[in-house]
Amino acid sequence: MSESASWNWDTGEKLVANINDWKKKFIDLRELTPSDDGEKIAAVVQPEKGKFTTCLTGDVWEEKFERVYSLKFKPDNQLISLTYRDYVYALAVDHEMWEETFDFIWNLTLTQDGKGIAVNIKRDPQLGAALNGQVWENLYIDARHLAVSPDGTKTASCIQIQPMKTLDIFTYQKGIWTVAVDGTPWEKKFWSIWGPVFSPDSNHVAACVRTGFAQYNIAVDGNTWEGPFGLVWEPIFKPNTNDVVAPIRTPKGTTLAMNGKPIWGYFFNAWRQIFSPDGQKLAAVVVPSFSRWTIAVDGTPWSTTFSDAVLSPVFSLNSKRVAAVVKDSKRWAVAVDGNPWTEKFDNVWDPIFSPDSNTVVAKAERNGKFYIVVDGKVSKKGYESLWNPVFSPDGKNLLLRCVDNGKYYRKVIPINEL
Amino acid sequence: MAEASVKESTKTEDWVKLNRKPVADPGFDETVKNLTTEKIEKAVNAVLNIGKNGARFMAPLETCIHCALCSNACHWYLSHDKDPTYAPVAKVKMTLWELIKRKGKVSPEFMKQVARIVFCECNLCRRCSMYCPFGLDIAFQLGMVRRMCFILGLVPQNILDQTHSLSATLTQLWITQGDWIDTMQWQEEEVRGEIKNVRIPIDKEGAEVMWCPLGTEPKVATYHIARTAKIMNVAGIDWTVAAQDGWDSANMGMFIRDMETMQRVVRGIYDNAMRLKIKRIVLTE
Ligand code: SF4
Ligand code: SF4
Repeated sequence: MSESASWNWDTGEKLVANINDWKKKFIDLRELTPSDDGEKIAAVVQPEKGKFTTCLTGDVWEEKFERVYSLKFKPDNQLISLTYRDYVYALAVDHEMWEETFDFIWNLTLTQDGKGIAVNIKRDPQLGAALNGQVWENLYIDARHLAVSPDGTKTASCIQIQPMKTLDIFTYQKGIWTVAVDGTPWEKKFWSIWGPVFSPDSNHVAACVRTGFAQYNIAVDGNTWEGPFGLVWEPIFKPNTNDVVAPIRTPKGTTLAMNGKPIWGYFFNAWRQIFSPDGQKLAAVVVPSFSRWTIAVDGTPWSTTFSDAVLSPVFSLNSKRVAAVVKDSKRWAVAVDGNPWTEKFDNVWDPIFSPDSNTVVAKAERNGKFYIVVDGKVSKKGYESLWNPVFSPDGKNLLLRCVDNGKYYRKVIPINEL
Repeated sequence: MAEASVKESTKTEDWVKLNRKPVADPGFDETVKNLTTEKIEKAVNAVLNIGKNGARFMAPLETCIHCALCSNACHWYLSHDKDPTYAPVAKVKMTLWELIKRKGKVSPEFMKQVARIVFCECNLCRRCSMYCPFGLDIAFQLGMVRRMCFILGLVPQNILDQTHSLSATLTQLWITQGDWIDTMQWQEEEVRGEIKNVRIPIDKEGAEVMWCPLGTEPKVATYHIARTAKIMNVAGIDWTVAAQDGWDSANMGMFIRDMETMQRVVRGIYDNAMRLKIKRIVLTE
């Protein structure tokens, strides 16, 4: 978020692109993607039959492809796309193509600073990953899920390391899946493996593993906790440490465990755990009574529960408050520290805290229009399209990236004028 | 015929061995070679310990009056000339009741017969419950026996392989993530020849509908994808498919009572739905 300090925070609005014109100009205009700072907007377009390219704030890239997909902006506003032409796939950063080409690429993944750009790759018949144009030396029968280390120097993916004949149930039961880091597989193999995540120092990887019929565990660098457990959900690392926290299911219920030891009480279910920015608090989605969802902070559930769903908790920057998207009786809202907004919506996006942690905003959908909701109060104006708002570093203004009457605007609006 | 079948049954150890045409299946025949009474006892009691606290599990055992009204509900019973060994309650008697009576101390051969009964002679269709004056849930009970068999790996090969695939890949047929996305892309290109500007939007946030096919569709029946694309486009539905695992709605884990894989499959679909903010999930079938 620190890069937002360099953005233009003068209040006012700027018409960045007339999307109506784009619609007239191209056979097909695909999903719009704005840059983080809102200054640019891009989309995959079809300027001539069966030929695709990118349109960046009105400028159409001359190079044409048979496919262009997974459009994404880096924080520095460079535009990444995955392309296919003349039977090869390649990654393009702005108009520069990676030299390496592939038989397929997917799972475009960036580090937070955008310096690490990774994809899963296929080189018939083998699969693996590539980071900043560098391809793994070893490729495998399958490679799924992709994690990039926080420092942007490593990739990890779940791989099938041994071949298996059709319907060979017994080879699978010997364990033919593991994680490969930069192409080097862990020594230990498992029945199934998913949810790989790097440690904050980029030196370790944790993942969920299946070790037998109804047997699950967490593996860190290939070594499992003392287990097995009835089921596990995706692990996370504690900030600035190598401690791993994951939900484990035991005969008593589901709890959170750190390095294999239970640290919370037991629930019907628990998942989507997250540490506060200072690393001192832990929040997760929990099911304290049958079919009732809520958030627990350090093991204590909110007293308010919800019938349909609760999404991942979000901490305030001062680590003191927690908000989450909640769904009750088919209507969506945000709950902050256990108190749900009274206004309900057809859809709500993840809540965002102001830099001083006092205000919570979220994008919400009602009757096909999109609104900004500030501490439960709905903005006067609704938009055709709206992306997640961003707080100015002083917390006084909000950056809106929105489409109104077919035109894409970058707006900076004082929070009390919404 | 019914009488003959019972007469043909031979007692082995202390249980009735059914005289049926053998079903050759490595999931039974090979797995049983590695089973021991101890392993079976452990698996059976692991399930019984959970089950005995549940009314749904215990009520049929305690309430059934053996009236056999449920028999006429069962297509296995009817299509085998009313052979009583296919009657719903007989299937419970030959499996769960025996396992409870013997506290799980049974031979691998007995367990193989149990597996055959619960996997190959009952579809868990629940029709018998509709005929039972008490609405006793026999399918639930036979499902719990399937769970015991699953913990032992004593499961028909084909469905076990598909569940293994779902566990490893969240797809029914070992489909790589790249092949799934590629298939959606080339299907779109195929259909574009017939319908101008047809789209199969992948990972479109905020779409009204997320379509979750069965793994068989991208693997062996791509024309289903083309047809779905045509219907969605002509009907003007704002739709998408998810790029990440959790798009395959085949849930074989449910049938063999691999509850964990079953839950992971369902969660995968809901995770995609919530990530993409779609309003409705549409499944094949
Ligand atoms: S649930 Fe099983 S026993 Fe009952 S009617 Fe269906 S197939 Fe027959
Ligand atoms: S109909 Fe109900 S009570 Fe009668 S035998 Fe069947 S399960 Fe038992």
